[in-house]
Amino acid sequence: MCGYFLAAGPPTGAWAADFREIAMASTTITLSLVILLPVLAVPLVLALASRLGPRVGYLTAAAPLGSAGLLAWIAASAGSQPRVILEIPWVPQLGVNLSFLVDGLSIFYGFVICAIGVLVCWYAAEYLGRKYAHARFYSCLLFFMAAMLGTVFSNNLLLLFVFWELTGVASFLLIGFFHESDESRRGARQALLVTAATGLCMLVGIILLGLASGTYSLARLADGSLSDYKDVGWITASCVLLLVGAFGKSAQFPFQFWLPGAMAAPTPVSAYLHSATMVKLGVFLTGRIFPIFHSLELWFWLVCGVGFFTMLLGAFLALRSNDLKAILAYSTVSQLGFLIGAYGVGSKTGIQADTLHVLSHVLYKGSLFMTAGIVDHCTGLRDVRRLGGLGRYMPVTAFSAAIGVAALAGLPLTTGFISKELLLADLVDAKAWVWFALVVISATLTVAFAARLFFNVFTGSKPDALSVHRPGWAIQTPPLLLAMAALILGAFPGLLDGTLNAIKVAGLQEEEPIHLALWHGFNLEVLTTALIILCGGGLYLLCQKSGWKRAEIPGFLRFDVAFERGLDGLSVFSKKLTLALRADWPPAYLPIVIFFLLISLAGTVAVSSTRFFEGFSAIDISLSPLHTFVAFMIAASLVGVIVLRRWTTQLIALSVAGFFLTFYFVLYRAPDLAMTQILVESASVVMILLLLSRFPSSQLLRSEEKREAKGRIFRVILSGGVGLVMTCLVLFADRHSHPDPIGPKYLELSKPLAEGTNAVNTILVDFRGFDTLGEITVLLVATLGALGLMMRYKRGRAGNDPASAPGFFLEKKRRP
Amino acid sequence: MKATTDSFLVRALIGLVFLLVNIVSVYLLLRGHNLPGGGFIGGLMTGMSFILLGLVRGWEELQRELPVPPLRLASFGLLLAMITGTAPMLFGRQFLTQYQLHLDYVPLIGEVHIGTPLLFDVGVFLLVSCITVKLVIVLARSTSGLPAFTPGEVPYYASELEGPIEETANEEDRHAN
Repeated sequence: MCGYFLAAGPPTGAWAADFREIAMASTTITLSLVILLPVLAVPLVLALASRLGPRVGYLTAAAPLGSAGLLAWIAASAGSQPRVILEIPWVPQLGVNLSFLVDGLSIFYGFVICAIGVLVCWYAAEYLGRKYAHARFYSCLLFFMAAMLGTVFSNNLLLLFVFWELTGVASFLLIGFFHESDESRRGARQALLVTAATGLCMLVGIILLGLASGTYSLARLADGSLSDYKDVGWITASCVLLLVGAFGKSAQFPFQFWLPGAMAAPTPVSAYLHSATMVKLGVFLTGRIFPIFHSLELWFWLVCGVGFFTMLLGAFLALRSNDLKAILAYSTVSQLGFLIGAYGVGSKTGIQADTLHVLSHVLYKGSLFMTAGIVDHCTGLRDVRRLGGLGRYMPVTAFSAAIGVAALAGLPLTTGFISKELLLADLVDAKAWVWFALVVISATLTVAFAARLFFNVFTGSKPDALSVHRPGWAIQTPPLLLAMAALILGAFPGLLDGTLNAIKVAGLQEEEPIHLALWHGFNLEVLTTALIILCGGGLYLLCQKSGWKRAEIPGFLRFDVAFERGLDGLSVFSKKLTLALRADWPPAYLPIVIFFLLISLAGTVAVSSTRFFEGFSAIDISLSPLHTFVAFMIAASLVGVIVLRRWTTQLIALSVAGFFLTFYFVLYRAPDLAMTQILVESASVVMILLLLSRFPSSQLLRSEEKREAKGRIFRVILSGGVGLVMTCLVLFADRHSHPDPIGPKYLELSKPLAEGTNAVNTILVDFRGFDTLGEITVLLVATLGALGLMMRYKRGRAGNDPASAPGFFLEKKRRP
Repeated sequence: MKATTDSFLVRALIGLVFLLVNIVSVYLLLRGHNLPGGGFIGGLMTGMSFILLGLVRGWEELQRELPVPPLRLASFGLLLAMITGTAPMLFGRQFLTQYQLHLDYVPLIGEVHIGTPLLFDVGVFLLVSCITVKLVIVLARSTSGLPAFTPGEVPYYASELEGPIEETANEEDRHAN
């Protein structure tokens, strides 16, 4: 079942082919396991969560650990420059297969997701107290991990979109974990709306790209060249739309506001989502489509412009925030801008330098988020202005934070230094001086708030109001591990050579392998870095002197507030519209609906009038007495409904019409329909009778009617019109029956195929059983909705007053 | 509306009527595949029988006497229909493939021919009847001055955080005042 091909060239000889096929099949299974392992662990976590309590986090960590192990096996067996495509048929008719691309980039991201996942589970096990819903937390986390792994390994763009949106859903659940808090719900909703809406843009882009190029496979798209494709306009549009998706997920301008809002999540979630995973997807996608679109001129301007501008904006906002997590969130926005912008420069080593910076950002940002969580945990505070002197109480945490901050600022001996140097060198190579200036300014701001993060929290004297308890060693280890990794890889960057050389875009980048070293010689980049550190330090001292007085985010940059206002506006608008249409007062509302129905039906009749009336002369008008009698009775009882003046009598007249309609079904020999009609009729009579006591008295209604007598003629015309048009339609349907009706076929096949002689029932439960299943599902959901509405309907005055019954207009009018 | 009737005759006979109606409805359900009837019709009929019971004995008592919460049973019905549909996929067959069982002789009944469509129909039956019962009970309670739900049920249908839904109407009132 597993189709495959290897990009490295055709297999030689039959034996080699066999061997390769076996290896490939086992790789497919292993990769499926890598992605599915977190999901498979969910039942176990759910079962054991109540017994293990917080320690279930350690159990959860086994899933990403296992995935990482399997991934290592895949990476080892795939060779030094892996590029393997694995396919499992899914909807082959539409060309949509579960197609996975195993190459340097996806293996790199897979490792990051798994490794940070392990540490986050460990950290969460210590961070989350006993009272949290651990089962829910860890199953959402595992669900999220699986979705992330699926996204990075997808080769088919449509599959990538599916996983992409799954990460959005999972992150919604995680961010809104404290769903009792308003802030949490708002953050989750913003994150979901922004990422899902931009994700939909991305879907349109994917489809455009697929139509223009004829394939949804990333590998094939990267191999092809843009000039082969149909239409430059389509390609440009799809490029922009795909980038909108990436910008939304990675919180680039103008979507940057959701990321700080998502900080309402528990800190382990923030550490995972905002350092290693979710927001990196945008960067990942940019990296994936970079080989496809890099030759477009628009690519350079759009990606660089948005990316570097966001970098500056994020750094500026971080400098003006006071909450520990908010500072980290805005610095994440800023660094993501840097990462995305660097793809726009599109130089030869760009993709590798970018990946290096992703790694470095993962390491230090993960560590910083975790230390922020520890500070929050031990002091109950996150406001930088009220913290200080914590280094004495938590030296290990302070050490991790120091390394993290140094990497954030790009100081030598950390990975941050190496990656920033490389990216700066790219900008210098490309002679993109405008972007270079933006990066230098943002980096200076970054140094300033990075210094603040460390010195104002861990050094100095402790404010008296601050009460601290010492953190345990277990919670301090994950950030320490991350920080040590940042330090070791920063001091011996040569360790990363192999990884980086595996992340090469075939055909786009030169063959000679890259070598990282701590010292690349005395050049412009080093000078710039020194300048950045000096200026940043100066800025920090300056702000420190002024006491961070201006540390508030200016109103016009509060996009989150504007977004919320827009959402509120929508609901206010819909309420206004509903009230304007008088949806609570059927006599006013129904004519509107019927009027438009009439217009659309009559329009259809008028447009096709010649064909419509052509067989009408041939209608034979032979009436059987029984049919005529029933029709007459129905008509008479309906006239009764109009003429009678009391609710009860009207209702009886209406049900008489209904029961005579049943008679019609009997006449046309449709016993199933007749039975259903009788039962539905009885049920609705009972329901209306139940509500009847709540109706306004007939007299009251009559006085109401008199006031609206003018509208009466209009209503008569409407009803007459609907009757006329429906008659025409019925006659038309009778004259122009379908040449190949489906009914007789059902009758024929009912016995041989469905083994039943009641064709109505075989259609319901067999031929169209799927429809029935859908219908009963809808029925149940609709009932739940109706019950929820009845529950939430506010009763007027308590007790028995009929005027407080739901849904009747008189409630309003009777109030003084 | 007064929920109970004073007529002794009706009160005495309702149990019998209830039984008869349900015999008919189950009969309709079982024969549905070959003769007029089926899960939907049978379910509606059973629902009607419960409405009768409620009208005569009072909704409070009806609700007290129900052995299972109707919505739980309705969900079970949906689950049953879904399982009937998906089970063949486990054996590599198409979704909703039907299986038949033919027994030549069953004591007291004789020849029996049943298939998985009947299970599907039972699911429909349960869902339709239970939903009818639930909706009518809630409507009846709310029109006879009781809160629509018992306090035990409230957490299932609304969260404490939710407010009532017609705030706009109140706002209008406030403006009018």
